Amino acid sequence: MPEASSTILVVDDEAPIRRVLGHAFAAAGMRVLEAASARDALDVAAAGRPDIIVLDLGLPDASGEEVCRDLRAWTATPILVLSARHSDAEKVALLDAGADDYVTKPFSPAELLARVRALLRRARAADIDTGSTIHRGELEIDFVKRAVKLGGTLVHLTPIEWELLKALATHPGRVMTHQQLFRKVWRGREHGDAQQYLRVHVARLRRKIERDPVRPQHILTEPAVGYRFGE
Amino acid sequence: MNRIRAALIWGSVLAATTVALYFARVDLDKAHVALVLLLVVLGASAAGGRALGLVVAATSFVLFDLLFLAPYGTLVVANPLDWLVLVAFLVTSVVAAQLLVRAQEQTERARLHEADKLKDALIASVSHDLRTPLTTIKALAHDLSALGDERAQMIEVEADRLNRFVRDLLDLSRLSAGALPLQIELNAVDELIGGALQAVEGTPVAARIAVEFPEDGTLLVGRFDLTYAIRVLVNLIENAEKYSPSESVVTVRARRDGPRLLISVADRGPGVAAAETERVFTPFYRTPDAPSDAGSAGLGLSIARRLADAQGGALGYAAREGGGSVFTLQLPAADLDEALADAAMFTNH
Repeated sequence: MPEASSTILVVDDEAPIRRVLGHAFAAAGMRVLEAASARDALDVAAAGRPDIIVLDLGLPDASGEEVCRDLRAWTATPILVLSARHSDAEKVALLDAGADDYVTKPFSPAELLARVRALLRRARAADIDTGSTIHRGELEIDFVKRAVKLGGTLVHLTPIEWELLKALATHPGRVMTHQQLFRKVWRGREHGDAQQYLRVHVARLRRKIERDPVRPQHILTEPAVGYRFGE
Repeated sequence: MNRIRAALIWGSVLAATTVALYFARVDLDKAHVALVLLLVVLGASAAGGRALGLVVAATSFVLFDLLFLAPYGTLVVANPLDWLVLVAFLVTSVVAAQLLVRAQEQTERARLHEADKLKDALIASVSHDLRTPLTTIKALAHDLSALGDERAQMIEVEADRLNRFVRDLLDLSRLSAGALPLQIELNAVDELIGGALQAVEGTPVAARIAVEFPEDGTLLVGRFDLTYAIRVLVNLIENAEKYSPSESVVTVRARRDGPRLLISVADRGPGVAAAETERVFTPFYRTPDAPSDAGSAGLGLSIARRLADAQGGALGYAAREGGGSVFTLQLPAADLDEALADAAMFTNH
C-alpha cells in the first residue's frame, strides 16, 4: 500500500470537513496534517513536508490559485483540489497553476481516497518513458516507431492526432487542461484560432483508437476542464 | 384586470368631479376647474398608468372646453385668451402624467435591481452553505455504510438527491435571471453523447441506451456549451428512464439537418398527452401518473429547455411512432474548415 506511512495535508476552513477527511485518511494508515487557512497551509507544508496536499477552494485569506502558485514555487508535492460546482473556470485556473487533480463536492471519501492513492502512486512512478511501448487492452502505442495498433491492426493517425495521443498517453491518469494540451501539441506554432479545433481532433482520434467513441476507454473527457488518459 | 378596475374607478371620479364642478360653475374661476381636473388626471396616471392618464387628460380637455369655457356646450372658444388656458391645461396634464409614470417605473426598476442583487448573493451563499454540510453528511454516511448499516446508505442516497435538487434550483434561478455563464465553443457530438453516457454510468439506465449516428460516419460538430449541452441530454435520458418500462431501450440519435444538429432521446413510455406537450417544460410540472418517488421535483425538462434556448438551440417534444416520446435537442451546427484545421499545425514541418 503506497499510502501507508505517507503524510497528507488537508487544507479546508470548515472544521467538520477537516475532521471527516482526517478520519478517512488516518483509517487508511496515513499521517494527517491539517490547516484552516492559506497561510497555515504554507507553514504546515514547509514544516511537515507532506507527500500530498488536499486543498479546498474558497479559503478565507487567499484564492486557491495563489496557494497553488506559492506551493509550486518550492515543492512538486501533488495537489488535489476540492471544489464546489459552478467553478469550472477556477478548476481550470488551478490545474494550469500546477494542481494535479480535482474532486467536486459533495464527494464520497472512497472516491477521494482513490484519487489520493492514484496521485501518490504516480508521484512515485516516473512518467512513461517515450522510448517504450505501452499496452492498454487492445491498444498498443509504440513511441519509438510512432506506431499505433488497435487489435493488432495498424491505425493511421495525422501528425496532430499522434502528438495529442502522445501528450495524453505519457501522463496516464493525469487531467490535462485544454490549454496544457494545446501548448504541448502545437508548441507555439498555432495559426489563427487553432485551439478551437482541439476537441475536434480528439473526437477524430477517438474514432480511430476507441472501439466505441461515445464510451471511450482510453481518452476520457473531464467536462469543461480537459482530458485524462485512462490508467 | 387591475387596469380595467382603475379605468372604471377613475372614469367615475372624472364624471362625478365634472358634475360637481358643473353645478358650481357660476362661483368658479377657470383656474379652479383646471386645477381640480389636473388632480384627477394625476390620480388616474398614478393608479392606471400612462394610457389611462392620457385618456383622462384628453377627456378632461374636451370637458373643460365644452362645459367651462364660453360659449358652453360647443367646442368653440370665444375668448382667444381661453385658448392659452386650454393648451396650458392639456400640456400640463400630459407632462405631469408622463413624469409621474416614469418616476414610478424608475422606482420599480431600482427595486427589482436590488431584489436581483439580493437573489444572486442568496444563491451564492445557499450554494456554499448547503453544500458544505452535505459533503460532511455524505462522507459520514459513507463511513457508516461501509460498516454495513443500510440506513446510512439511504442517508447517502438522500444527500445526493438533495444535492441534485439544490443544483437544479440554483440553475433555474440563474437561467431565469439570465446569469448563467456559457462557454460556446466548437464541440463534437461524439463528446456530447459520450459525456452524457459518462454522467449516467453506474445507474440502471446506462445499460439500456442505444446510440445511433449517421451511417456515413460523418463527424458531427457544432457550436455549443459542452457542459450544459451534456446536462440537457442527461436530463432527457433521466426523464426517459423515469417514464418508460424498465427493460425497454432508450435510443439516443444524432444527425444533422441543414444549420442544426438534432440529438433526440426516444423512449417506449406512455408518451405525453396532446394537451400537455408544452406544459411538460414548465418548472415543477409532473404528469398526473408520475410516481411520487420519482426522485425529482419536476425541474429536469424545464431546465433542459432553458439551457437549450440559452445556447441558441431549442428543445421540443414529438410523439414516437409505435408509442413513446421523442425529445429532440437542436443545437447550431458548424462546418469544419478541414484545410485550416490541419494546416494550422504542420506548416513548419
